[in-house]
Amino acid sequence: MASGRWWTLCLQTWRTLPKSVPCLTSLDQLLDSGLYTGEVTELMGAPGTGKTQVCLGIAASVSLGLKQHVLFLDSTGGFTASRLCQMLQAQTEDEEEQLEALQRIQVVRVFNIYELLSALQELRDRLSQQVVSSMGPLKMVLLDSVSAVISPLLGGRQSEGLALMMQLSKELKTLAREFSLAVVVTNQVTRDSSTGLLKPALGRSWSFVPSTRVLLESKEASWDKASTRRAASLAKSPRQPTGIQVELDIGNGDVLEPSLVTPTQGL
Amino acid sequence: MRRAARRVRARAGRGRGQAVRGGAGGRGRQRSPLAGRVRGVSEACPERVRGVSEACPRRVRSVSAACPGRSAPCPGPVRPGGGAAMQREVGTLPLAPALRARLAAAGFQTAQELLDTGPCGLSKEIGISREEALEALQVVRQECQGDAARTAGGSGATRKCTALELLEEEQTQGFIITFCSALDNILGGGVQLTKITEICGAPGVGKTQLCMQLAVDVQIPECFGGVAGEAVFIDTEGSFMVDRVVEIAAACVQHCHLIAEAQQEEDHGKALETFSLENILSHIYYFRCRDYTELLAQVYLLPEFLAEHSKVRLVVIDGIAFPFRHDFEDLSLRTRLLNGLAQQLIILANDHKAAVVLTNQMTTRIGQSQATLVPALGESWGHAATVRLIFHWDNSQRLATLYKSPSQKESTIAYHITSHGFRDVQPPAVTHSTEGTQLNPRKRPRTEEEKQQ
Repeated sequence: MASGRWWTLCLQTWRTLPKSVPCLTSLDQLLDSGLYTGEVTELMGAPGTGKTQVCLGIAASVSLGLKQHVLFLDSTGGFTASRLCQMLQAQTEDEEEQLEALQRIQVVRVFNIYELLSALQELRDRLSQQVVSSMGPLKMVLLDSVSAVISPLLGGRQSEGLALMMQLSKELKTLAREFSLAVVVTNQVTRDSSTGLLKPALGRSWSFVPSTRVLLESKEASWDKASTRRAASLAKSPRQPTGIQVELDIGNGDVLEPSLVTPTQGL
Repeated sequence: MRRAARRVRARAGRGRGQAVRGGAGGRGRQRSPLAGRVRGVSEACPERVRGVSEACPRRVRSVSAACPGRSAPCPGPVRPGGGAAMQREVGTLPLAPALRARLAAAGFQTAQELLDTGPCGLSKEIGISREEALEALQVVRQECQGDAARTAGGSGATRKCTALELLEEEQTQGFIITFCSALDNILGGGVQLTKITEICGAPGVGKTQLCMQLAVDVQIPECFGGVAGEAVFIDTEGSFMVDRVVEIAAACVQHCHLIAEAQQEEDHGKALETFSLENILSHIYYFRCRDYTELLAQVYLLPEFLAEHSKVRLVVIDGIAFPFRHDFEDLSLRTRLLNGLAQQLIILANDHKAAVVLTNQMTTRIGQSQATLVPALGESWGHAATVRLIFHWDNSQRLATLYKSPSQKESTIAYHITSHGFRDVQPPAVTHSTEGTQLNPRKRPRTEEEKQQ
């Protein structure tokens, strides 16, 4: 009898353990086999480093490869369906599969914090009622970008912005935990006024929310040398040592060139 | 007698003041009948942090699913329909922050509780006027109804669709051409609608010229490959020259006439009747903003303007950096204002299917070893625009670099500014064949222009 209960307990615990969702092959190396469900992962980078491209790539590979549904919350207007189509075409020639993959990705445009919160509430309602609709089994939620909706509220003398940010983080974490979703958010970087180094936006309070943080950087120093090569380095992770870097090519899919370089001066 | 009367009046005044403060639920001063007890705790259920209702004999408010002490004897009020939408937390509702703070202090947690209390109870509990309570409840009801409607499957005003539908939408959307085919190519067809495009460059490189060109090009009729829209031009630097726009518009009209002659189609002729110089100029709506408050106010009022003039497909803000760069002490305020502005512009672009074009200045960033030229307004502004073009000089050649785009690769091309406007450097190689109608309607043989030059 005791062993029966023990096994039930084991099974329950195993079910609630975070599972990993393998996405982009080179990014998987960085993230220890993929994005984990039940957790919030953050992608940060300066403008033009490819955060939206990586999100589109993740959505494409999860939708096409794993045949799971994806929810894309777009707050910057950067979602371009034609680029997503290009990525799908690079991965498979079959048009039927491409169409199905496109239908599995749902896009919601939210341009301020209240719209975002009501979209998350709606998602929670739908998932908890288990409405059988064209939604299907949802595995991943991508939010691009979280700082676009929060930064207009932060600062000043009121703490309203901070309260809303904490509310949002609670929503995201409980959604990820309760429904076993992998949540990916993108964040901006700002320049530290004293040291001049780049640091993630939204401050210290937000830095406790994601359990994994990946920094995307351009390999070139200035904008007049164009290239599609980017470097992704791990800034915070509960599983891997920080400072690991891989190279990504945001042009056509990803280049498998993981290189364990010496740990950089991480953020 | 007079002293006694004053004393009485003073005491009454104090009493009134005290009563008001107590009614507001005070910051720690408890004047309610539950004086001495932490506000919100009911007699019956110590774990539940809730407000207190007079009607319920056990002094509990509406029943929450989270409460562990919910047992059979407590009947609980009947919850009206709306289901899970009513469980939305008070913190996520779009109410004024002071009101939200008071609601939190009074112990309200979900929207359900607010709606159950009603306006009179609410105004008594947190010490606001009845009108304010009514307004707040109105907002809450709207939000919850909106949520419920969306969950039930109605689309309403949400911006939700699958990627496939978006792809179809994008493929039918037009672009605003720039008359420089190289630039159109690297942009993927031209300036995209529903996106914010930013043009950064040093002074004199041609940003305002391109803006004026786009304000004319957006009006090109659809049969010639344009979007047939109108333009809004918000000028903060005062660099808009009407004479120059007249030159550009005249060249554009002439170009279209020549195409119509070459192709001889019916709708070309009809379209050309309305595409005249006067029409073009009357469809460019010009606003002049002298400082950042005027600019913010103008952008705030734009949605109403665009609702009246539904054909507007382009909004140009020439010089978004100028009002924000000088005379701004509080940099964090600047960042907040700019971020809020960016969000308003993207909502505008999305709702009205318009392209938003901004021009920015350049500034020098002094790094450890070298000084580089970077766009102004800081790092956080770099995330506002979806597409970023940087114009720069290379000896005496003007170059345009696509620095940031969601769908196109980074590349650099050369362009030219002639008396006709924004053009390519070399005329594209065009065959003079009239039999093959593979001719791009936007391109025509350039022989006449070369002869003029």
